[in-house]
Amino acid sequence: MPDLLANLGLGFSVALGLQNIALCFLGCLVGTLIGVLPGVGPIATIAMLLPITFGLDPVGALIMLAGIYYGAQYGGSTTAILVNIPGEATSVVTTLDGHQMARQGRAGIALGTAAIASFFAGTVATVLIAALGAPLTKLALIFGPAEYFALMVMGLAFAVVLAHGSVLKAVAMILVGVLFAAVGTDLETGQERMTFGFSFLTDGVDFSVLAMGLFGIAEILRNLDQTETRDVVRERIGRLLPGLADIKQAAPATLRGTAIGAILGILPGNGAVLGPFAAYTIEKKIAKDPRRFGRGAIEGVAGPESANNAGAQTAFIPLLTLGIPPNAVMALMVGAMTIHGIVPGPGVMTKNPNLFWGMIASMWIGNLMLLIINLPLVGVWVRLLKVPYRLMFPAILMFCSVGIYSINSLPTDVMLIGFFGLMGYLLIKFGFEPAPLLLGFVLGKLMEEYLRRSLTLSRGDPMVFLERPVSAVLFIIAFAILAAALLPSLRKGRDEVFTEA
Amino acid sequence: MGLSPLSRRALVVGGLIAAALPFGARAQAPAYPTRPITLVVPFAAGGSTDVVGRLVAQKMSDILGQQVVVENVVGAGGNVGAARVAKAEPDGYTILMGTVATHALNPLILKRKPYDPVTDFSPVALLAVVPNVLVVNPNLPAKNVQELIALLKADPSKYNYASSGVGTPLHLSGELFKSLAGVQMQHIPYRGSGPALNDVVAGQVPIQFDNLPSASEFIKSGSLRALAVTTKERAPSFPDVPTIAESGLPAYETYTWNALFAPPKTPKPIIDALNAAAVKALADSGLAERMKGFSAKLTPSTPEALAEHVKSEIAKWTPVVKEAGIQAD
Repeated sequence: MPDLLANLGLGFSVALGLQNIALCFLGCLVGTLIGVLPGVGPIATIAMLLPITFGLDPVGALIMLAGIYYGAQYGGSTTAILVNIPGEATSVVTTLDGHQMARQGRAGIALGTAAIASFFAGTVATVLIAALGAPLTKLALIFGPAEYFALMVMGLAFAVVLAHGSVLKAVAMILVGVLFAAVGTDLETGQERMTFGFSFLTDGVDFSVLAMGLFGIAEILRNLDQTETRDVVRERIGRLLPGLADIKQAAPATLRGTAIGAILGILPGNGAVLGPFAAYTIEKKIAKDPRRFGRGAIEGVAGPESANNAGAQTAFIPLLTLGIPPNAVMALMVGAMTIHGIVPGPGVMTKNPNLFWGMIASMWIGNLMLLIINLPLVGVWVRLLKVPYRLMFPAILMFCSVGIYSINSLPTDVMLIGFFGLMGYLLIKFGFEPAPLLLGFVLGKLMEEYLRRSLTLSRGDPMVFLERPVSAVLFIIAFAILAAALLPSLRKGRDEVFTEA
Repeated sequence: MGLSPLSRRALVVGGLIAAALPFGARAQAPAYPTRPITLVVPFAAGGSTDVVGRLVAQKMSDILGQQVVVENVVGAGGNVGAARVAKAEPDGYTILMGTVATHALNPLILKRKPYDPVTDFSPVALLAVVPNVLVVNPNLPAKNVQELIALLKADPSKYNYASSGVGTPLHLSGELFKSLAGVQMQHIPYRGSGPALNDVVAGQVPIQFDNLPSASEFIKSGSLRALAVTTKERAPSFPDVPTIAESGLPAYETYTWNALFAPPKTPKPIIDALNAAAVKALADSGLAERMKGFSAKLTPSTPEALAEHVKSEIAKWTPVVKEAGIQAD
């Protein structure tokens, strides 16, 4: 414990330096802005800003880049709530209830809840990293391919439980998502699958392309054929801060979301993507009236948002202690560290204590700054909804196109968001929900990879999933969830979670 | 950045003179560059090729007096970016950060070739060579390459090795090792070396071929045991780690390399201006220091030497790819 305090003391003395505070603020501000702009993601921004950081000292540079990363997580929920575009896999769930709240004139409260829940989760996660960072990496090492496969199966079981508008349609959507994930070059053999000879499909479909098409473009199309939805929002903006009743509902959800997100974020195999989904499932399972979910339940915003932010923070644990980036943004951070002559890995904590603890302290300061930046801005963002839609949709469309192009510089990506947009629109018209599709897509890719790797390692013996205790337990949970979902007595209470009115 | 227009011009003129001198003074050097140059990096931002590209681009911007902008054109193991430069205008404003993957391995592996590595590019300069390393989990009983070979021979079906993906230089480093040592081990491909390292450190897979830079911290901290580097000479950053060649497989040599390429039929003066800027960038002490930090060896070269290098790499890898039986559409 005294160690922890001394370490945190060192961290804050580094992070509270004038230059580092300024850089932290700059990073958070830039991050929030790019997070709010649909399509302009942290990956493209950090890549573009990398050369500018050459002149800074490494600690300051990384503090700024980290600020952009979690700032974008904050900003991303703003877009998810206001215009129904999830910027990243982790904000898909926020669209479900967050956007519904916005439609009911409670956009301010949704944004405020998201910001406060995120701040709380960020604070807890920072302490967690400081206290448990080193020992927790052991947990990451227990997870081999078999355990990750079991984890992903559990994730898909969540998806089935979640989707009860029509089980059949939801399962169909999950499977379509898994199929989309299979497009592209086979990891094990290098053969192309389902590319129809198009070279732009050799690397498969990008998550952001699929998400932006199915949610962003489809939402624009839908708004264009039912103009009246915008009037609902314009009528009343409502309070900006959640009231006492709201806080009472949101607080326990925030606590649970933080715990779930923090644990899943530590897993280097991109377990963090499951956080918000898992948090949402649990909130809905334990709610007295699950019917409210999907219709603007505040727990449906607070739980996933805190899980998202806690996971975003704890994802730094495998990066800083093992040197293993759990996602694309973290991979960029590895690049940034290398450029500054720091090789991420187990040595960082002992060899660069200034950097390690400085970054951790700056995360908490950054979270505080985000709260301060975001709460007054909530009013500004909400006012954006009053902009007539005929002016807003071309702007959203333009940002989506520019943003998608900036990721891989591929014109075909821009065409693909058009294609998926049309598909998303048709799906909504026929009563299929796009969210399970996206979950199937995210998990399908990882699932296939881990399944095949486990089986190669076991020389084709499927018993490996039951012989390893962690994987066996996860499988049992998954089947228990499925069994519970399929019991008719429980089915009555189920709700059209993913159905978007 | 930060240069006054005058000193910028001085740099441009200086660069052009430096470029033109060996071939006799020219009456009128063409004005190049007059606008920003795009350096296509065919891999994701943050990877080792991207880092080398951004470091060199930054220095070349100062030298040429025009921004050299890095654009990550990702896809198909580097083929999408390389193919784009192969088809670009040969005006010197689009250049490629090529690697052993884009200019030797991929063209050998692919049945449908998007470009020819020799005729579809004008070589500019070889930049750096990065060693690969053979690492094992510390719990594996083998302490050196010979012990590993003995272990693999004792039980040919038991062991696996990890790499960053099918057809990557690291996978083929493993295949070359198998064929020269006459051993068997099952290849386990990953999406990049990060996740592969995770499983080798955790002991899920006992053996891995990796780039020396990404594995170096794990070696230093003892989470991985380095058995040998794959280059002919030992790496200066790890003088105690022997080479595979000196451990009983004298014919063994692999490494990853980075080089600049321009589109085919780019005029000679432009190639020379780019070459001079690249060579000058590599001579910068700050850049050399950063590159040394991740075990890269700087190898500035003439365009002609790079052309030869590409041919010799293709000749070296052709039999390995054939024997490993890797073929993709």
